[in-house]
Amino acid sequence: MQFWCSASGKAWTWAFTAYPGVWALVALLAFTYARLVRHDAPDARHRATGWIGVLTIWLALDWPLGPLAAGYLASAHALQFLLVALIAPPLLLLGARAGLVTWWTTGGERTTLGRVVGTLGKPLVAAILFNFVTIATHVPAVVDGWMTSQLGAFAIDACWLAGGLLFWWPIVVPAPERPWFGGGAKLLYLFLGTVFHTGIAIAMLMRDYPMYAIYELAPPMSGMSAMDDIKIAGGIMELAGSAIVFGVMTVMFFRWSREAGNP
Amino acid sequence: MIRCPARARRATVILATFLAACARDDSRGVGGPAVTLPTPYPRPSFTLTGTDGQPFDFQARTRGKLTFVLFGYTHCPDVCPVHVANIAAAMRVLTFEERARTTLVFITTDPDRDSLPVLRSWLASFDSTFVGLRGPVEDVTRLAASLQVAAAMFGARNPDGSYEVGHGAQVIVWQPDDTARVIYPFGVRQAEWAEAMPRLVGRTPTLIQRITGKS
Repeated sequence: MQFWCSASGKAWTWAFTAYPGVWALVALLAFTYARLVRHDAPDARHRATGWIGVLTIWLALDWPLGPLAAGYLASAHALQFLLVALIAPPLLLLGARAGLVTWWTTGGERTTLGRVVGTLGKPLVAAILFNFVTIATHVPAVVDGWMTSQLGAFAIDACWLAGGLLFWWPIVVPAPERPWFGGGAKLLYLFLGTVFHTGIAIAMLMRDYPMYAIYELAPPMSGMSAMDDIKIAGGIMELAGSAIVFGVMTVMFFRWSREAGNP
Repeated sequence: MIRCPARARRATVILATFLAACARDDSRGVGGPAVTLPTPYPRPSFTLTGTDGQPFDFQARTRGKLTFVLFGYTHCPDVCPVHVANIAAAMRVLTFEERARTTLVFITTDPDRDSLPVLRSWLASFDSTFVGLRGPVEDVTRLAASLQVAAAMFGARNPDGSYEVGHGAQVIVWQPDDTARVIYPFGVRQAEWAEAMPRLVGRTPTLIQRITGKS
């Protein structure tokens, strides 16, 4: 039995495969989220948002998307990146925001985890870290080298989730000690924070040959060529990624202008 | 002065060990350059049936051409479609004249399922000019053995009647001088084929290519 999805080189079948490591991570996330919202229950909308975040992580990492992304399709890998790093983290943080604020203000800030989050969750640090994780986990040598082992594939997924949570932390969780980080600064932060992700998408779209050996040499599982696959991966990164970021920026902009108009 | 407390050193060692373990665990052996044959093969003489149903005299029909030969079967789930797709994709680097002097010959190791129309249709999904050959298993096995290619091994039948066929995964390349000097194992990428193809077809390198050592 496999603990985590990794590139196996075996021909793809639609037979269900269990990945207990994914289930354990999802259970841990669900347990942590349930504990965070136990005392500071958010309204139904926010509660649902958090659970959708947990569900998104589960769908992204478990069969069939998990193994497809690990060893068969670069496009599935790109979709998984968006789900784990750009979609699930803000949903999780939004759902748990009240609980996180309570935890933070009642001593959480002074715990080891609080100190780590306090340091790495500063806007500049978080943006640099997120972009570093995004670039490093898309370098062909890293993808081809790490995705063939369960531990390596787990490390990449964990980096995406951790990087995503840190990146969205300054946007979602209020920080009274950073009054300068208002609406305009947050918009700029979001824009600059995802510049490199756009760069990777363009690199995928402009290539003459497939970018990753594991997907190029994987047993074909669709009628799609390896070049079509990497172009679709670039399209997903660029279009869907931009849609997410600019969608959030649009909502934030109108909220910011409304607040600025009604102080 | 840079301070490096014991905890930081330990963390660095653990991280380095983790990275090394991940990097080492590459059981698929991706990549793979050409393997030089200890003794070059002259272009062999054999005749099998082409997908048009007519006898195909390999030596006569491919003489003077860059010829990629591989043994496989159309139901192959991994090696064959990847090899053929990558060679087809890399052929874009050839000029029209070079492309006309280049061909791929696919010899089926599973004649029971690979009828001539099946073979034609499968190859056409990659490139309509690729040649498919079919013959009795004994003839193909003898030919493969003469080229140092592993004989086909038929796997047990699955409940749905399907089965796998183990076969040699290498591509033998005869250059226009009718000599094969290299074989390519499975794992050669499109970019590697594209770099090798102009050299294999005998394109004269430009001065810059000679200086940089690239095709």
